Amino acid sequence: MTSPRRQGLEAAPDEILVERASQGDAAAFEALIRRHSPLMRAYVSRIVGSLSEADDVVQESLYTAWRRLPELRDPKAVKAWLMQIASRQAFKHLRRRPPEDPLPLLEAAHPSDTQPENVAIRNAQLQALAGALDTLPPDLRQAWLLREVAELSYDDIAKQLNIPRTTVRGKLSRARASIFAQMEEWR
Amino acid sequence: MTDTTPRTLDCGKTIEELSDYLSADRIPYNPSIETCPECLNALEALSGVSQLSRDLLAQDAANLPAPPANWMEQLMATIHDEVRAGRSVPLHHPDPRVILTVTEGALRALIRSVGDDVPGTIIGKCQFDGDVETPGAPIDITVTASIAWKYPIPDAARELRDAVREALTTHTHLNVMSINVTVEDLHGYNSTTQEMP
Repeated sequence: MTSPRRQGLEAAPDEILVERASQGDAAAFEALIRRHSPLMRAYVSRIVGSLSEADDVVQESLYTAWRRLPELRDPKAVKAWLMQIASRQAFKHLRRRPPEDPLPLLEAAHPSDTQPENVAIRNAQLQALAGALDTLPPDLRQAWLLREVAELSYDDIAKQLNIPRTTVRGKLSRARASIFAQMEEWR
Repeated sequence: MTDTTPRTLDCGKTIEELSDYLSADRIPYNPSIETCPECLNALEALSGVSQLSRDLLAQDAANLPAPPANWMEQLMATIHDEVRAGRSVPLHHPDPRVILTVTEGALRALIRSVGDDVPGTIIGKCQFDGDVETPGAPIDITVTASIAWKYPIPDAARELRDAVREALTTHTHLNVMSINVTVEDLHGYNSTTQEMP
């Protein structure tokens, strides 16, 4: 695409990019952004419910990540680390938003049609899940995304949502059971 | 819609109960669940919801419209402004009144650019061990690297070491004792030619 060196960084493992970036190599950080920001945007927009707000939140998260990169102890775990920072920023954003604002439903990303049948079934299944997620109460949805997508521990979820650990477990159980019930027809 | 009556399996267990069991990582072991085919089926389907959630987000990520054009530019502009200089490394100058130094950050950038020019290698971090602020103090250098698939590691490491030594000899007066190369990764497996010519 562009210069050969840039192409080289695109192929570099996360670990190497993190090491370079934490020693000040902005190009390496850019490669990390290109690799991981799509999932961060998708994740944050499911939490805050709006893509344009998600773009601001993710940008803010990436500034934070850049500054704190030297603190990251396991460079291989950069993806989970970025997702955690994005989570924190997303919840900070929600707390700042006036509480009477209802959580808007996310305009779903539409996959292209004209696909083989099994892909179509798969997409329908994912759409059904998206629908099930949207009908979850916000607190259950957030706990679910923190656990299953950001892969946070129960303790970290408890900290982030400011609730006891046992409540986290209860919320996750209810979220899973509820999604499961709504997706019954896809099994 | 979410908190309707819990669905009960024919064996008497509810979906809620099983979901809770999963949330506890199936600990403590519950023989009445773990030996019941119906429960095991339901557990598997319930855990499938987790994987599907990750798939959904991955699909979202692939299909979301691109961020605004200036999104990345704003980010990178801010990031470029932050400098990580590190220690100051003194350089000789014939006039004793002149104090000349180069930052560790600049030396790292030099090593990265030299290392990236060695075919098949991408540099990670570089570390200077020793008192770089004292002229003539012995310095050991450790560089991590990823080597491209199909490049012999010993050859690449040797070329890298030579290139780093040459660059440091040319540009600094560091008393370099050893240059250690740690190969942390191999990259580019399974992808087509991406190497520099």
